Amino acid sequence: MELTKPTLILEHVTKRFSNFTAVSDLSLQVRPGRVFGLIGPNGAGKTTTIRMIVNITVPDSGRIELFGQRLSITLQDRIGYLPEERGLYRTMRVGEQLRFFAELKDLRGTQADDLIDIWLKKLGLSDWKHKRTKELSKGMQQKIQFIIAVIHDPDLIILDEPFSGLDPVNVQLMKETILEEKAKGKTIILSTHQMEIAEKLCDDVCMINHSRKVLDGRLREIRRSFARHAVALQFEGGDGIINDPDLVANVRESGDDTEVLLAPQANAQLLLRRLVESGATINKFELVEPSLHDIFIEKVREV
Amino acid sequence: MKKLLAIIKREYLQRVRSRMFAVATILGPLMMTVFTVVPAYIAGIKPGTPTRIAVVDETGRLYDRFRDALVRSHDAENEESSDQKLPPIPTNSNQRIKMTGRLSEARFSVEEIDHEGKSLQEIKSNLNERVRTGDLDVYVIIPKDVLVSAKSEYYGRNTGDIFTRETVETRLTNAVREQRLVDEKVSPKVVSELDRRVNLTSTRVSDRGEEEDSGGGFYVVFAFGFAIYVTTMLYGQMVMGAVIEEKETRIAELLFSSTRSFSLMMGKLIGVSLVALTQVVIWMLAFVLISLVGAGMLAAHGKSITLPHIAPMMFVYLGLYFTLGYFIYATIYALVGSMVTSIQEGGQLALPIALLLVTGFCLTFPIARSPNSSLAFWASMFPFFAPITMLVRIVTETPPFWQIALSLAIGFSTVIGLIWITARIYRVGMLMTGKRASIPEVMRWIRQA
Repeated sequence: MELTKPTLILEHVTKRFSNFTAVSDLSLQVRPGRVFGLIGPNGAGKTTTIRMIVNITVPDSGRIELFGQRLSITLQDRIGYLPEERGLYRTMRVGEQLRFFAELKDLRGTQADDLIDIWLKKLGLSDWKHKRTKELSKGMQQKIQFIIAVIHDPDLIILDEPFSGLDPVNVQLMKETILEEKAKGKTIILSTHQMEIAEKLCDDVCMINHSRKVLDGRLREIRRSFARHAVALQFEGGDGIINDPDLVANVRESGDDTEVLLAPQANAQLLLRRLVESGATINKFELVEPSLHDIFIEKVREV
Repeated sequence: MKKLLAIIKREYLQRVRSRMFAVATILGPLMMTVFTVVPAYIAGIKPGTPTRIAVVDETGRLYDRFRDALVRSHDAENEESSDQKLPPIPTNSNQRIKMTGRLSEARFSVEEIDHEGKSLQEIKSNLNERVRTGDLDVYVIIPKDVLVSAKSEYYGRNTGDIFTRETVETRLTNAVREQRLVDEKVSPKVVSELDRRVNLTSTRVSDRGEEEDSGGGFYVVFAFGFAIYVTTMLYGQMVMGAVIEEKETRIAELLFSSTRSFSLMMGKLIGVSLVALTQVVIWMLAFVLISLVGAGMLAAHGKSITLPHIAPMMFVYLGLYFTLGYFIYATIYALVGSMVTSIQEGGQLALPIALLLVTGFCLTFPIARSPNSSLAFWASMFPFFAPITMLVRIVTETPPFWQIALSLAIGFSTVIGLIWITARIYRVGMLMTGKRASIPEVMRWIRQA
């Protein structure tokens, strides 16, 4: 039972286009002050789901409730949105551009100007305020778009693939900024197909594939429930042991490690004993939680 | 509402501050002048030296008169026209042809061929030789019985030069007429008086009684009509470009997440319309200013011209039909813009729109001639032509008020209908990328959205 009321509720939401179903009977809840990951491969229906939340498109059936109200156009001002399809007015100056989008979110006057300066400084773009947008690099433009998403201090921030196209330094900067917003009590929906990033940032996740929900819940619980004896190994010798299907379900090379997923009837102790008995030299033997990626693959196979 | 204002403000400021706007504002009227005056002027240029014309006068009496007619009449006619008002920029076709004619009136150097003692055959072959070698351009043989038969022969290398031929014919006719009169013992004074032209003073009879009107008002409103046509075309395409830009750059998604698609579309239409209005007002002010300065300068030189009088109501109609024309065409351009994926595609699809606009503009000429014909009536009721055609009718022969009201009602209903349809297509089309929408798809968007 949650003590706080969810920020966003989707109930049996379905969206069809002429010849295919983009989102099918999707139900989920996003709790306030947390980072919610919407995860799935390209074309799974993430963007369509988000478009319905920000009221760009309307579901064919089902119900969406935001901030305890039925979704309506007036709630748009309380959402900040970084679309996956990025776009800015190319010839507008950066400052004017930010000002325009702030006004579209009902933020104006000196308050808007001050916030623009604060954000530009924070993301290291102050020198670019009077430059035309087309003179900026792609990464810089993306940061400008991030500012557009957060400048009006929205309660819900939706970021669709926020890290794509950023260099490692800026990925780090973006992560920190997202966590700062979370610390301020904002609710954040992060849509991505990059599971490693979701793993590090999200509190809750919802996995979708082929328009349907595959799995959702708190990330920690999901991982715990899937911590089905995956082991990271470094060893020499012991030929053939890890290829025994009664012992090991799946083997994967991961850097220097060999990652094995134990068969349902086996356990880590058994594997260790068999390896020792076979005379293998074991340099590393570590129980690991399965990655989101593995969980996703496994769930998709099940379905 | 505040958001709509923000959108209008952006559309307006971004465009008015752009270099393109300044260039178009300055070059617009310049181009207009260039496009109307230069072709007329070029058509009238007779390059090179005066036409060398030889005359074989078998009557022995006509040569002097003919030569005088050829050489002098040109100047005489010019003098005559200079006491008229300033010649306006010839925007209607009759006027243009007249001016072309005047410009093309060639200068002549005339020579008489002595034909005594030679056969006509001999003279002709001689002259033909001179024409062939380029020593002579044209020669005319005036037969003995010209006063009776009214026939003469014209030879030249370039008989395609109809202007010269015409002039020669007219001058010879004049010479022959004068000779006939002199033969009838009419005094030379009377003969010279006979050619004086009559100047028409036209007075317009309307519901308000008689008004002096030299037709100058027509040129003014014609210029405004032309301005409507040009600006509608220009700014309609600007709206289309803006729509396509937002679609191509995917800004639409961000915009749609902040406000209604309807506000976005209306903001764009209104914002760009204000840009157009700004430009037209600048043009009009410049026009009025130049006219006043011009009139003042002429007055200082002791010549006075009456500036065409335009009733204030005219400006009201002008404003109404300008708004109508702009919104009809800009909305269609916006519709096309939201269906296509690139400017190039848009250009192709927008071609029929431009044709519609041009057709409306071309109808001006027949309508100006008979403003009460059924063609004029229907053309001014058809909303896509009305903005220009009804304006022409109002200026030339104001139709009954119910007709104006009806055309406005049809026009603005069309605008509302178009905006309704376009808003629906826009809402869906703006998020569709990758391929141009087909007509059945668009029909479905209209039903569903």
